[in-house]
Amino acid sequence: MRPILLQGHERSLTQIKFNKEGDLLFSCSKDHIINVWFSHNGERLGTYDGHNGTVWTVDVDAKSELLVSGSADNQLRLWSVATGKCLFVWEFPTAVKRVAFGEDDTKIVCITEQRMGHQCAIRVFDINREEPTRQSKEPLHMFNIIGSKATVCAFTYTPNVILTGHESGKVSLFDVRSGEEIENNERAHSDVVTDLQLCKDQTYFITSSKDKSARILDIRNLMPIKTYTTETPLNSAAIAPNRPYVLLGGGQDAMSVTTTSLRQGKFETRFWHRVFEEEVGRVKGHFGPINTIAVHPAGTCYASGGEDGFIRVHHFDESYLRAKPYGDLEIMD
Amino acid sequence: MWRMVLTSVSLPIPFVISVPPVEVISDTVDENGVRTTIEYAINDEGKKVKITKRTRRVLQKSVVEHAVAERLAWAKFGKERGSKPGPDMATTTVGEHLVLKISVGNKSAEPEQTAEQAMKANLQKAGAGKVTCRLCKGDHFTAKCPYKDTLAGLDATENPDADTGEGPAPSAGGPPGAGGPGTGGKYVPPSMRAGASAGTQMGARSGSDLPTLRVTNVSEDTQESDLRDLFGKFGRVARVYVGRDRETGAGKGFAFVSFEDRENAQKAIEKVNGMGYDNLILSVGWSQPRPEGPGGGGGPGGR
Repeated sequence: MRPILLQGHERSLTQIKFNKEGDLLFSCSKDHIINVWFSHNGERLGTYDGHNGTVWTVDVDAKSELLVSGSADNQLRLWSVATGKCLFVWEFPTAVKRVAFGEDDTKIVCITEQRMGHQCAIRVFDINREEPTRQSKEPLHMFNIIGSKATVCAFTYTPNVILTGHESGKVSLFDVRSGEEIENNERAHSDVVTDLQLCKDQTYFITSSKDKSARILDIRNLMPIKTYTTETPLNSAAIAPNRPYVLLGGGQDAMSVTTTSLRQGKFETRFWHRVFEEEVGRVKGHFGPINTIAVHPAGTCYASGGEDGFIRVHHFDESYLRAKPYGDLEIMD
Repeated sequence: MWRMVLTSVSLPIPFVISVPPVEVISDTVDENGVRTTIEYAINDEGKKVKITKRTRRVLQKSVVEHAVAERLAWAKFGKERGSKPGPDMATTTVGEHLVLKISVGNKSAEPEQTAEQAMKANLQKAGAGKVTCRLCKGDHFTAKCPYKDTLAGLDATENPDADTGEGPAPSAGGPPGAGGPGTGGKYVPPSMRAGASAGTQMGARSGSDLPTLRVTNVSEDTQESDLRDLFGKFGRVARVYVGRDRETGAGKGFAFVSFEDRENAQKAIEKVNGMGYDNLILSVGWSQPRPEGPGGGGGPGGR
């Protein structure tokens, strides 16, 4: 396969995301820009300009109409996907580290950083889809996280329940109405949870962590189902739809990169078998740690964004789709 | 078949844009569908260049959802506002071909090789055998020897099999290449082969086959010229080498002296061995236990 290299960012990538059909790829980075690309040929459709700080996170709704982004300039912005216009801006006392759309696209959840005397807070906003420029400034629900701050979050199918990953390695379920912790697993990881992605039917999810492992956890009781232990801190983990693999990306911290060789850097995307917990393949290419990985919803391509500022979009070969490393064993998705 | 149609449109622009003139000479499509376009253009240096392009166009059809097809027609915005359709080379390039091979076998279980281990493995693959230190016979490169400072310079004397090419070299674990032609089909240079005579060696008279004495217990500040004076009394001295510390340049207490004549060397051993020199008592001997006859004197030549 020949990867498509997207060079629309001048600084390291923070998050990339496919839309529901997988034809658009959204990317955000520390250079304040959000880009949108056509995934089939790497053509840049446009940019969303306006943030004045590192854009930490983006998410797109299921209809690919609205885009939401969170940035270190303490803003949460709502954009029109088609035109690049900013529709609404929310202001917070601290940086926005993670955003996610709810299942029916009428709610968003965001995490704001714990800093300057402000606690890490989770806010849920109602999205007015009729008139996107008229949104409520006040969150629908808001609560502070007690203890270790939250780093990643996502909505679940259960109404008003969100899933969070924390700096201590804890994974929790919260009821957003009361701010009550419904369920938690303190020992899901032993270090910062860096990414959290749900599987298609949302019965389980994958988390990656700086503790060098990624785990598939059951969404009901947050118990680990599978563990993938690598030799490098992980920044991102994704589940490959239709194939029994998970994709893990990471590498040593940016600060120690200059002191080690490229080969030892471990800047590869690793493919692990989802069930047998064995590594089945690797893809090289990045010059720095991989910060974020996203897989096309149809499982035909994946993209990785690195500390080197590149996004690499890989359309899988036929051999990947046909490969049966463990014989005639099919896994239903 | 797709075809680019170029139409000239008179634009109401009050200035002229200079476009390098491109002259298309031929444009053919062969039976495999490969289009060959030959054109001449003037490059930046004002020189006329011939450009031959071979392209193959493959029409790919795909069925996409209605929403996806609609999005393909969206106008570009932001920094891409007004850009023409199609990927821009400034932001989108195609990388090198990669192979993703999905296979069983826990790749993470393989221990990480250090650079040295990898090199050893490569040597082994290339048939060079085991890595053996020339100084202490340990399982590491000579340059990495922990006893480098104390043993360096004595290496030639400690390694009797090294240059003879005879004797039980392969089994004794001599350095790679020292063995006879029987060592597993690997390449042995002609000079190292058992049948090779000493005279065929490069620089035969340069010292490797000269009668060489090893002088030890030499004081630190002894110079080459001092030893040349001392041994010059017995006959013509071909070469003097004093072992020195690489950093400080101070002598390490040993030296090699090559004579042109074997009798003179023998005489020198008898006279100088046990002689006081500076404040020390010199010890002189053949630099290598030799087989019969001339040749085999390793000395500094073996380094």
